[in-house]
Amino acid sequence: MNSDNASRILIVDDEYAVRRFLQTILEKEFHLHLAEDGHAALAAAATTKPEVILLDLGLPDLDGIEVIRRIREWSEVPIIVLSVREREYDKVAALDAGADDYLTKPFGVSELKARIRAALRRSLHETPEPVFVSGDLVVDLTDRRVTSRGREIALTPTEYELLRLLVTHADKVMTHSQILKQIWGATYLEQPQVLRVNICNLRRKIEVNPSDPRHIFTEPGVGYRLRTCP
Amino acid sequence: MVMVYLLAVVLAATRMGLRSAIMTAFLSVVAFDVFFVPPRFSLRVSDTEYLITFLALFVVGVVISTLVARIQEKVEQIRSQEARTSSLFYLTRDLTAAADVPAVVAALGRAVHRHFESSLAVMLNKDGNPERVEGETCVPGDPSCEEIARWVLKSGRRAGAGASAFSESPYAFIPIKSVGGVEGVMVLENGGISRNEDLQLLEAFAGQAAMAVERVHLSRQAEEARILREKTHLEQALLNSISHDLRTPLVTISGVLDSMLADEKDYDARQKRAMILAASEEASRLNRFVSSLLDMTRLEAGALSPRLMLCEVEEVVGCAVAAIRSRLGANSIVTDVEPCLPPVSVDLALLTQALVNLLDNALKFSPPSADIGLSARLDGSRVVMEVTDCGPGVPPGEEKRIFDKFHRVKVPEATGGTGLGLSIAKGIIDAHKGVITASNRSQGGLMVKISLPAEPAGSEEDCL
Repeated sequence: MNSDNASRILIVDDEYAVRRFLQTILEKEFHLHLAEDGHAALAAAATTKPEVILLDLGLPDLDGIEVIRRIREWSEVPIIVLSVREREYDKVAALDAGADDYLTKPFGVSELKARIRAALRRSLHETPEPVFVSGDLVVDLTDRRVTSRGREIALTPTEYELLRLLVTHADKVMTHSQILKQIWGATYLEQPQVLRVNICNLRRKIEVNPSDPRHIFTEPGVGYRLRTCP
Repeated sequence: MVMVYLLAVVLAATRMGLRSAIMTAFLSVVAFDVFFVPPRFSLRVSDTEYLITFLALFVVGVVISTLVARIQEKVEQIRSQEARTSSLFYLTRDLTAAADVPAVVAALGRAVHRHFESSLAVMLNKDGNPERVEGETCVPGDPSCEEIARWVLKSGRRAGAGASAFSESPYAFIPIKSVGGVEGVMVLENGGISRNEDLQLLEAFAGQAAMAVERVHLSRQAEEARILREKTHLEQALLNSISHDLRTPLVTISGVLDSMLADEKDYDARQKRAMILAASEEASRLNRFVSSLLDMTRLEAGALSPRLMLCEVEEVVGCAVAAIRSRLGANSIVTDVEPCLPPVSVDLALLTQALVNLLDNALKFSPPSADIGLSARLDGSRVVMEVTDCGPGVPPGEEKRIFDKFHRVKVPEATGGTGLGLSIAKGIIDAHKGVITASNRSQGGLMVKISLPAEPAGSEEDCL
């Protein structure tokens, strides 16, 4: 059933029912490996070289966050966290540790597949497209031009950097600290206000209705995500 | 002449008491002898018959003065009796109105002060140890007092000045005894309280106070019992509600799955799809209910402490709208955010949750394809957000109760809510020191209004 060029996915979950369910819905499209605890996950990650890892946080032997950290020591493989922990604190911890995405259980099958595909896409395109197009928003990364609904938008250098960061990580949640660290430097970690004000200004420039945004979404308490729409 | 003499005796008896009256009688007899009986200006008597007259006069004087003095004494007794009775009456009246122990003690203090002009301290029995009542002034600080009070509590007998035990103490200790035991001790400075009636009166005071304290205790026990009963009742209602809300979606889900397993062939593709859709909807409902229960539990455990950060109002609105968009169906949300609003200091995730719950509620009661309004404006120093719908609104008088846990407005069509959404929203808004109210709109439908303190805009804010 699996074609040879199907992407390899490592599923890590201690619940048999969840592993079985994920296997059922994913085995047609992907080549699957299963692990039921943290140590097995680390071993499988090294031996099977997965292209995406689906990771549960509540593992019996190691905490999921620790698993992410250890994998990140040697691999950039996309990690999608699937967890029942729905508090922002847990999401931020997982994302800051190096996870690429976070889905709260229970999740929709189509949502999960979309996230897997987005993660695969990101890891395949090491160098992003020079022109990013999403709906009415066009960001030309080569000559730093941003147009929305056909009109060219004037952005401050900081706003452009912020947009560029979100565009190059499109469909991925960027936590507050990740954005702050990359654009303003580590000294600004304690000053989330500067990020909030810039996001707000950016939205007012590129969104039709800033209180009903279509491009830059806030993940409350976690960070921001730029969504690509067709 | 004899009448004048008797008048003097009666006057002396009423004014100066028995002893002076007898003295007056004697002096009068002497004066009579000196001034009126020959030989005048001499104590000598010419006729011995006069001696009998003198004796008679003296005896009459003594008898009269004794009688008068006795009446006087009786009057005095009646007067003090009356004073005691009225003191007791006032105390009883005050105690009837006293709703708690400090009020009882205060009434007792007033009564003692009124009658004896001495201040009073009360120590209550706290598991055998004397405990001072707050607000007292004259409780002596030395440890011997506590020791005496403890003895009084244990023995239930009087002690201190005027009693057999601890008579060296300058204070009098009177037990406040009720049927159930010694409730406390009255301690008062011994300001001439040695007379028997005074002690009796104090004991009567103590008796009244004991009854009042006992009554307070009993009514508090009754109140506690009532609260406990209500709580048990409420918990039972919660449990019923929870088990109902958890089980109902499972009826559909497991029913659909079972029939698919058992006789999948009996259904055509359209039927199967309808059944699966129903099961899927019920599954999301179950998931929402579990999330609500978790939120509620966190809220009640106090674990939901907001992590406040400055946020743009339009960002809050955007988050809420984005979170509920997938459930909108034919309805749409019309947002109206005043430009250039100052930021609010909130926990974005929590406030989003609160707004989503309000929108969810509006959605549940909205007729198909009706608009739901979400507006934000500045009102003085507060940001006011309003969620409006075109549903049936709230029955009059239930505007506050719709925020109660598991409260559902009785409407004909079953909307399948959890009865938790609005109370969670209220819990979140309360945690932000905001105000949330509900009212009916004049044009029909419900309006839920949230008001949050606005932050003064910093210099970094430039409104585009």
